[in-house]
Formats: sequence, structure tokens, C-alpha cells
Amino acid sequence: MREARTLTVLLYCKLTDEEKGSGNRMNEKTVHEKVRNKKIKDRYRGKEQVYYEVKKVFCKTRSRMAILLLMLLMGVTFCFAMNVEYINEEGEAETGFSAVARLRAAQKEWSGDLNEEKIRQVIAENRRINETPEGRTERIKESNIAYGWKQGIAEIRSLLNCAYADGFRHYDYYLADSLSEAEAGAFYRNRIKLLREWLAGEAKDQYSEAEKMYLIRQYESLEIPLYYDYRKGWTQLFTYAPTVVMITMLFLGYLVAGIFSNEFTWKTDAVFFAAYHGRDRAVAAKVWAGVWIVTGIYWLSMLFYSAAVLGYLGVDGWNCPVQTEFGDWKCFYHLTVWQKYLLIVIGGYIGCMFMAGLCMLVSAKTKSAVVAVMVPFVLIFLPSFLGNLESEAVNQILGLLPDRLLQVGNALGYFNLYTLGGRVIGAVPILLVLYGILAVAVLPIVYRCFVRS
Amino acid sequence: MELKIENLSKRFQDVAAVDNISCLLTTGVYGLLGVNGAGKTTLMRMLCTLLKPTEGRILWDGQDIFKLDGAYRRILGYLPQEFGYYPDFTVQDYLNYIASIKGLRPAVARKRTVLLLQQVGLAGAENKKMRKLSGGMKRRVGIAQAMLNDPKILILDEPTAGLDPNERIRFRNLISELALDRLVLLSTHIVSDIEYIAHEILLMKDGKICIFGTTKELTARMPEQVWRVSVPQNKVAAYTKQYKVSNIKTLHGEAELRILSSEKPAENAVLEEAVLEDVFLYYAREQ
Repeated sequence: MREARTLTVLLYCKLTDEEKGSGNRMNEKTVHEKVRNKKIKDRYRGKEQVYYEVKKVFCKTRSRMAILLLMLLMGVTFCFAMNVEYINEEGEAETGFSAVARLRAAQKEWSGDLNEEKIRQVIAENRRINETPEGRTERIKESNIAYGWKQGIAEIRSLLNCAYADGFRHYDYYLADSLSEAEAGAFYRNRIKLLREWLAGEAKDQYSEAEKMYLIRQYESLEIPLYYDYRKGWTQLFTYAPTVVMITMLFLGYLVAGIFSNEFTWKTDAVFFAAYHGRDRAVAAKVWAGVWIVTGIYWLSMLFYSAAVLGYLGVDGWNCPVQTEFGDWKCFYHLTVWQKYLLIVIGGYIGCMFMAGLCMLVSAKTKSAVVAVMVPFVLIFLPSFLGNLESEAVNQILGLLPDRLLQVGNALGYFNLYTLGGRVIGAVPILLVLYGILAVAVLPIVYRCFVRS
Repeated sequence: MELKIENLSKRFQDVAAVDNISCLLTTGVYGLLGVNGAGKTTLMRMLCTLLKPTEGRILWDGQDIFKLDGAYRRILGYLPQEFGYYPDFTVQDYLNYIASIKGLRPAVARKRTVLLLQQVGLAGAENKKMRKLSGGMKRRVGIAQAMLNDPKILILDEPTAGLDPNERIRFRNLISELALDRLVLLSTHIVSDIEYIAHEILLMKDGKICIFGTTKELTARMPEQVWRVSVPQNKVAAYTKQYKVSNIKTLHGEAELRILSSEKPAENAVLEEAVLEDVFLYYAREQ
């Protein structure tokens, strides 16, 4: 009660003389009412300032052109993502919605748990097709017909190539053709065996004993049998998601780069800073404008892209474990496809927010939009150059750079492990927590930096 | 209502842009006169809390303006020398935005905007984009934004720079109208602008206020007298070298010079009444 009264007195002190009423004694209720009204008005004015800050960005012709270009690039990416082929009975490639429907029907026939029986059936079916005249011939048209028959089992067949490979990092497309049904039982065992062999051999010095144990535990604790279903929509979505996120980030960088520096470019800084809210709320409005622009454009881009791809190719397979896709067969994170999608979009958002925050910080500090707009380029492309240095230490650092958040889907496949307080942990959770904190922490720094300019 | 400047200095590395200035300003129009680089803009930027002084204080009714922070800026209106604007905003958008960062309630802002646009002669131009306005119109928007919060202190840095004579007269009249019950500090190096409207004039040179007073006081206090002398054209250079010449007017082979001197420069010299321009010239050329 006493604390509440102190707060009221403090808030009362923030009211101007005019608002307090000239010389009138106010009871506590009136003070509370005035404080509440002031808060409501302040909130309204805060929103109004954010609106104008966003308007400053989007009323520029160049910003509008950038948005149009972004939409165009999104459209192009979508065209790539929906480019799915189905080989028909004549061995000819079909595209379009009917091809998607036929591929979906073919793969749906093999949906279900990937148990020993299902693996045996896939090996048998693969051999049956190989033994047909079309399967044996080297003539292209007939080979295509045989390939067309295999489309239903193609995804599982790829998993067989991984599971029965000669080494952890080997992949032989024709390996499945040499398998016999008797080997079906080793499907999951081989996954763990290959990892153990790799850790004991090639990667012997790459990981500590604790890290090796962690990886083996993760592999052993994978819930089997894996549930398999048609999931072309998700596969295509994941393939082009890093491109979409990176393109969006580059455009976001361009849009937010001028929020702070333009006050100096346009020479409006003097009027801005000499205004009542010029050193507090108006600056906060700029920061919020940046947050809203990133949030709005990012989620609109991702929703448009996801809705378009999944709407076209289907959402089937959302509950499959990620290991049912041959690219994620070795993944040590236990996730379903839907969870991987969430990780990609949330990771991308955190990454974009962090990079945009950094971009705004550089903009506020250097007073130059040109320098600020380079920040996302450097953060996205520099790790690619550094990646050429074959050093374990560099790899460990690269694994934690923010560009990984823009491609979390790919990061799930990397074996970057870190030991924190004696506990082994993968790079992805660290990236999400670390940059989640940094993305939030950079905003008050941007605020303080600009307030002091 | 007083603005007190106490031993104010601002140094940029080794250069003192403002050097130990002290003065007291109350209501009325104050003209800040000085050549380019005299320190006028630096002083004004400090008065607007845009620059922190190296030494000294600025007090508003006894309180440091940097400690008053927002409370001081709430009563401040500022038109900078280089008035920047958001090129793609309309006049209405621009004024609404400035009103919001000045903490005006939307209803008050709407009323003030309508009133000020009428006052500055821009009624009907609300929906024009800022970048499409002429130089004079932009300056008028500038004064409107400075007046939005009905400030007690109005600081105008070179408000007539770049305006044609017609616009300048219009602007001067407008400032005179707005000057009631507030402190207006007007900086310029165009003497005629403040001669007509300023109640008191602060003459700045090398970061210092070298003289302070009304036009009458300044002219009366000038240590030299003003002479009008007609000389042959070929002697103009010699006179210019020897005396402070405030004006040269060429007339059919002869030249009529306006000379500042404590002694009669020639036999035919006629004593003239000093004007503010003479005072300005005297202090500007004084070593």
C-alpha cells in the first residue's frame, strides 16, 4: 500500500504544473485518474510517432521499389520451389499440379512406420523393378520408365543408401540396388554403427569423449521406427527457405539502414533533437519502427512463401521425424518436420532482428546509411569466405555466427558441438538463445547511442 | 521569464567557437549579429541543448537547461540555419509529426497547424510534398514547426538566408507578429533584417559578444564617427586602404564614400548619422 502511494507520488511529479491544476488540492483518486489519462495519451502519441517513423521509410520511392523487387524475387523463388517433376508411364517428365498429385499418390502408398517389414518391402520392390527389362536396359527412355516406377519408394531408397553406406560420410546412389531383404533388420543399427566408426576413426580428434558420447546417445535415443509420409512440400520449402530469409534480410537491412542516419542526411536532426521528445520517446519510436518493419516484412515474406509452397505441394508429412529426409538422416536433433519449420522461421526472425538491430546501431553511430546497409552483407557473406579456412577453431566460431540463424535448416545438419558448464549442447539451441538475447539487448544500445548523438 | 548565459564557452579542439559569453535575455526580440564564423550558430545550438558547453551554464529561470532537459525543450522553438525536412512528407504530415515529437495532443496539433499555416501564408499547401515547395515556402514551414508548441523561447538561425527581398520583408513582419510575450533570438549577418525588428542586438565576433544594446545605444557608443566624402575615382583605393569604408557609390567619375573615422577624413567630408550597418562594420574590421 505504502509502495503504491510512493509510485503515485512519483508519477504525479511527472505531470506538468498545468496538468496538476493550478493551486487546486487534488485527492489521490484525481491523481490516479490523471496519471492513467496521461499514460493513455502518451501511449497514443508513442504509436503516432512510430507510425510517422514507418511512413518516413515507406514514403521514399526507393523503399517502394525495394519492396516490389523483394516481391518479384519471392515470386521467382516460389517458381523454383514448385518445380516438381513426375516421370509418367511413358518415361516422360510431367510438371504442374497433376504431377504433384501423382507423385503424392505414389509416395503415399509407402507411408507408415519404417519398420523392418517396410524396409524389406522397399528392398524387394526396388529389386523387382531392377529385374524388369526396363530396369536392366541402359536405353534412356526405358530407364526413365523404371525410374518412374521407383518414385513411390525414392525417398526411402535414399535412406537405404545412407544407412548401408560404406562410411558415415559416404553416399552411393546405386547402393540400394545391391541390398537383399535379409539386411533389412540392420537399417537403424547401421545408423549408430556408422556414427561410432566415424567417431573412432576420421573424427577421432575432432570431438571430446563427452561430445562423442553425447552424439551416440542422441542417435541411440531416436525413437524408432520412423514414421514416413509424402513430404515434398516441406522438402521444397526447406530447400529454398535460406534463400528467402537471406533475401528478405538484405532488403530489411536496406529499409532500416536509414531510420537513424537519414535525420542527419536530411539535416532534420536539429529540429528533432530540440523537440520535447527528441531525446526520449521520439528515439524510442525509431527503434520500434525498426522492430515493426522487420517483424512485418519478415513474417509477411515467410507466410507468403510458406503458404504458397505448402498450398501447392501439400502439408503432408508434417509429423514425420526430420530423419526421414535423406539430407537429415544423420541429424542428431530429435525434431519433427513441423518443429524444424518452426525453428527455421523463428531462427530466421531472430537472425533478421539481430542483424537489423546491428544495422540500426551502425546507422545511429556512423550517421551513414551506406555503411549501415553493408552490415547484413558482411554478416551473411563473410562466413562463406572464412569457411574456406580448414581450421577446427574457425569452424567452432563459424558455427555460432548469426548467418547460421538465417539457415537453421542447414545448421541442423552440422555437427557443431559446444561444452557449457560440463554439458554438451548443439549449436542450434545456443544460436537461438544467444541471438535472441542479443537481438533484444542491441535495441537499448541503439536508443542510447542515438540519444547521445 | 529569463534566459541567463553564464561564462559560456565551447571549444572544438583548440578553437574557441564561443568564448566566455555572459548575458541575460528576457522577453522581446534579440538580434544576434556577426560575420560568418563568429560563433552565432554554436551559441544557438547550445541554447537549443544540441551542443553541450565546454564551460559555463545556461539557466532558464534559474535552472540549468541541460538538467531541465525535456521540460526546457517543451518551451523551445527552433529554426536551424539549414532547415532540413522529410522530402516525401506532405506539409500536413510534417507538421503533424513535429507536433507529435513536441508532445502536442492531436486535437491541439490540428488547431495549431491550421492557425500557423494561415499565419505563414501556406493555407492550401497542406497536401503539397515538402520537396516540391519553393525555398521561401520551406522556410515558412520551418517557422510554423518552430511555433507549433507556442514556445516561450523562439530561436531562429539565419531565417532569411536565401530568401528574395519580398520574402524577407514578409518574414520579418511575421517574426514581429510572433514575438509578443516570448523571447525571440534571431541570428543573421544581414543587418537590415534585425535593424527593423530586434529590440536589442548582440554583436558577436570571434566567439565573444563585443557589444550589446539597442540600435540607438550601439550607434551612440560607436567610438568613431561616420563621414560622407566625395573623392575622385582614382583615390578610392587609397581611402579604402586608410579608412574603414562602409559604402562606395560611383557617380560620374567621382565616388561617394561612407567612411568610419574618429577624425575628419577630408575637407569636404560631411558628418552623417551612424546606422547599425556602420556599427557592424566597425566591429567586424576592428582588430
